[in-house]
Amino acid sequence: MGRIDRRLPIALLLVWLGAVTPAGAQEPIHIGSSIPITGGVAFFGQHSRWGTELAIAEANAAGGVLGRKIEVNFQDNRCNPAEAVKSVTQMLGEKKYVAMLDGLCSGVVLAIMPLIERAQIPLVVANASATAVAEKSGAGGNKWTFKVNPTDASLAEAMVAWLAKEGKIANIAFLGEDTDFGRSGMLGFQSALGRRGQKLASTDFYQQGTADFTAVFTKLRAQKPASLALYAIAADFQNLIRQYHSFGVGIPLTGRVLSDQIPKEILASGALDGTSSVQPYTPEVETAGNKAFVAAFQKMHGNPPNLLSYMSYETTRVLLDAIKRAGKADPAAIRDALEKTKLSSLLGDEIEFDKNNLAHKNAVILTIKNGQIVVLGLSRT
Amino acid sequence: MAMGLSLIFGVLEIVNFAHGEFYMLGAMIAYFLVARLHVGYWPMIAGVTLAVAALGVVLYEALLASVRGRSFERSILLTLGVSMVLQNGAIALWTTTPRMVETEYAYTNVTAGGIRIPLLRVFALALAAAAFAALFTVLHRTRIGKAMRGLAQNPDAALMVGIDPRAVSRLAGAIGIGLAGLAGAALAPIYSVHPTMGFAFVFKAFAVIIVGGLGDVRGAAIAAVALGVVESFVAGFFPLILVDAVAFVAMILFLLFRPAGLFGRGVRV
Repeated sequence: MGRIDRRLPIALLLVWLGAVTPAGAQEPIHIGSSIPITGGVAFFGQHSRWGTELAIAEANAAGGVLGRKIEVNFQDNRCNPAEAVKSVTQMLGEKKYVAMLDGLCSGVVLAIMPLIERAQIPLVVANASATAVAEKSGAGGNKWTFKVNPTDASLAEAMVAWLAKEGKIANIAFLGEDTDFGRSGMLGFQSALGRRGQKLASTDFYQQGTADFTAVFTKLRAQKPASLALYAIAADFQNLIRQYHSFGVGIPLTGRVLSDQIPKEILASGALDGTSSVQPYTPEVETAGNKAFVAAFQKMHGNPPNLLSYMSYETTRVLLDAIKRAGKADPAAIRDALEKTKLSSLLGDEIEFDKNNLAHKNAVILTIKNGQIVVLGLSRT
Repeated sequence: MAMGLSLIFGVLEIVNFAHGEFYMLGAMIAYFLVARLHVGYWPMIAGVTLAVAALGVVLYEALLASVRGRSFERSILLTLGVSMVLQNGAIALWTTTPRMVETEYAYTNVTAGGIRIPLLRVFALALAAAAFAALFTVLHRTRIGKAMRGLAQNPDAALMVGIDPRAVSRLAGAIGIGLAGLAGAALAPIYSVHPTMGFAFVFKAFAVIIVGGLGDVRGAAIAAVALGVVESFVAGFFPLILVDAVAFVAMILFLLFRPAGLFGRGVRV
């Protein structure tokens, strides 16, 4: 009895100390993210990371979420599904993560979806655009995966609808990387054209990391398609555009042309005039929210944002908002809160998930005119 | 690039897995010389080649000298480690953002018979041909070249006739890695420059030197040109995705039916 008496004041002191501990000193809320930090698309992984880091820095500067700091553990997957499975399995094994962010590459996301479903941890996808991710989520079976960015099918539909309006859907060739991104883009274009009684004139896929496109451009010039739907990213895109310009290919480009990554000399030369593109984002969108984001991103990272940084920023905001509304850092509560998301995006539209846990954000239709990128409008995906 | 890899293997008996990273370093140095210091194309080519050759001397003295002629596996692990350190060091230092090297010839083309060819590609071809001619002349017409060939063919006999293996190996390392730097400098204004750019090239270079005959510089040059032509043919008439298979299918076929390479000689360099 005497021993209990001595322990009681100590226990009370510890409880009191716990009660008065400042919010910042509490255990942070941990989020996991497996993205390509090295490898062929490391540049995109870096921008995805930068976008997430900005959203986290803003949230932490405002006192954190639920009075706790947010920490994101980024692990490298090299855009390789096998490596992603390894890194996500390891993170899930630690049992401290309340949610997973992105994955970036479509093949990676499709590979880790069963893992997060088994572990019952929400996965919020920012950049993987394969239509299959949404088809398998929500009503499609996997209740734990949410996709904020539009699918390739919906982006292709938005692009082809615009091309149809302009009378430019005949004789389109396709060139894309041999990944789920490129393959899914081709299928999206093929079905959108099919609904309008057209089909792709030719399809070509290249390996990620290909540096030289001379031969395929020579072939395409001989085929003379009316336009070329391009699905390329990162350094491959830079090489493609540079060689397209050098060899004077002259076939108007369409598809997912990363207008913000075209070297300014090539853009200004007018060689890409007539290009049309559909993107989930472009820094040129003139909304107050986007302008503030572009300025904050530039200040924090010394580089302008691209669509990856934007999508990761927006997706991290969606996740943090869900944690806040869940009222506790519990994966199941966060999943339920994600389902009820209603958040204004920087582009002025509302982010809500449908029965497949897919948000139908606005896509941006762009064109290049007189060496300038012109936003033609926003289209609901 | 393949000639440098072949030379290093021939003289040092080291398979340099970090060769692609020296190509990347050459391209990165080219970027900083042109974009930051506004150095012209030709001084940039000379500066990068010399700078990367100097790195080759450092690499040889610091690491390769200790494994030369010893365990083959140790040299593979060592150069793989160097490759990882260089690639990830470059990512940490310069980020993975692809960069464009804009020289004074960036948007200049030559037209021949209705075919438009970027001038920089003509220069790259000329530099590769000049590098091959220079290396061939050094190896076959100079005393130091003979010393390299002697060391490659019989290290013990070379030592007996007064060849300093360390000095000759150091020079071979510098020339081999300098050639990777030259490739980086010549191709930086053509392709985008980023820390992981060496990865794809080095594996193709390995296929080239196996087809050309390990350690055979002339074989490497001929195999590189031949594979380039076959790849272009495949890309023009078959699905583009098959292009990368060409070099590796050729490599497998040569390993199965003609493991000594194109010329099938036992003599290296």
